[in-house]
Amino acid sequence: MGIVIAVISGKGGVGKTTAVANLGLGVAMNGKKCAVVDFDIGQRNLDMILGLENRVVYDMVQVMDGEATVKQAIIKSKVNENLHFLAASQSKDKSVLSSQKVYKLVKELKDTYDYVILDSPAGIESGFEHTIEFADAAIIVVNPEVSSIRDADRAIGILDSKSQKVKDGGEVAKYLIINRIVADMVQSGEMLKSEDILDILDIKLVGKVPEDNGVIDASNQGKPVILDKHSIAGQAYKRISARLCGKKVDMKDIEVSDSSLFKKIAGIFK
Amino acid sequence: MQSKQYSVKVYECSVDDEEEFISFFDTNYTLFKDHLILINGEVSSTIRDYLNSKSLIFLNNVTLPKGRTRKALEEELSIERRERDIDKIMAKIELEKLSNRLQNNLTVLDEMVRSGRELAVDGDLLLLNRVNSGAVIHTTGNLIVTQLVEGAIRCDGNFMILTTSSKANVIFHDVEVDNKFLADRLCRVELKNKEIVITPVFQKETNWVS
Repeated sequence: MGIVIAVISGKGGVGKTTAVANLGLGVAMNGKKCAVVDFDIGQRNLDMILGLENRVVYDMVQVMDGEATVKQAIIKSKVNENLHFLAASQSKDKSVLSSQKVYKLVKELKDTYDYVILDSPAGIESGFEHTIEFADAAIIVVNPEVSSIRDADRAIGILDSKSQKVKDGGEVAKYLIINRIVADMVQSGEMLKSEDILDILDIKLVGKVPEDNGVIDASNQGKPVILDKHSIAGQAYKRISARLCGKKVDMKDIEVSDSSLFKKIAGIFK
Repeated sequence: MQSKQYSVKVYECSVDDEEEFISFFDTNYTLFKDHLILINGEVSSTIRDYLNSKSLIFLNNVTLPKGRTRKALEEELSIERRERDIDKIMAKIELEKLSNRLQNNLTVLDEMVRSGRELAVDGDLLLLNRVNSGAVIHTTGNLIVTQLVEGAIRCDGNFMILTTSSKANVIFHDVEVDNKFLADRLCRVELKNKEIVITPVFQKETNWVS
């Protein structure tokens, strides 16, 4: 019996899909069987970031409607055999989703895989609600800016009221990833500090990811940035994946940039 | 000095049934028209009107104490009545004061009020957590928030105690309270003589947990 993790953000463009691709691969690299499912029906792009663009034969809507089995529709990653992918439908609309269908699909995946990671669409409408409905845990991705945090706050509020686990009297575990941190801007006070974000959202931090230009190139090439050993974002995702697999990895303070550290040391000898 | 003496005939009765009383007086009018009529007990306005229309002289509440005129008695009665009314008003004011001091309808919440949530509370609210940007809280009673407020507050109670950030919007009795008076410190906002008074609450005074 695996664990279902929904990756949500509220606001669009904060790096949800990138996070799903990297965490899926990271978890697979830790030796766990992992399925990533794109729930952004009508606008699939997780396949591109994973580099599985033209291998989609059946999508999740066809699986839900019984036109294909999960086994037929699942695409195995070229990079890691533990990572399996289920694509969203391009042609259909998110109105095709229903609670029963989603439950059946999630249950089936949960029985086969150690980790099931769901990529939620942006916004808080029906597609989002179906993604969180049967999740055991949620990873909330935010950027250190007020609009992203307010939308995330709203999304957490909906998660706490509409998820099936909450309705049954339980609680959905919530973890925060702060994405695209620019150390210099945090130091100068232009960007929100992670302590402030944690104060507002009041959930557990699972990792901070620095801004990295390599991410865009990696997405374009279909090779998640976690595969790049020199990328700082890739290393951050590696640490987060290890934490998700239950390993203890110390939180690295990426908000202190090298230059400011140097300035501080220089200041002592003045 | 001249003086005259009359002998007065008095007829004493009481009203048990109004209709019966009126029909009895109708039939025996000639008998009573020269009598002074004494009625025991209360006299209703219909009976009073009836007797006046027949121009009969009557008195009621007849156990007149010795040495007191009817007029003095009536005056005494009216004073007594007025005092009773004042007592009633005083009791009402006291009760209102008491109910203001007591925490009527108090709701205690320890949950984060997240963005998009609109929390309406009838009565007082004690909130032990944050109010995030984009959330709205409306109370008809007093409000205390122990952590930072970044959302919108509408309070119609006697007072509120809160700390706001510069983003918050606070409306107290339909008047917008300027944020610069409230920001980043615990403040008590209250209504005194139709004026909004803001006083900072010092750390020493706050004794949330004891």
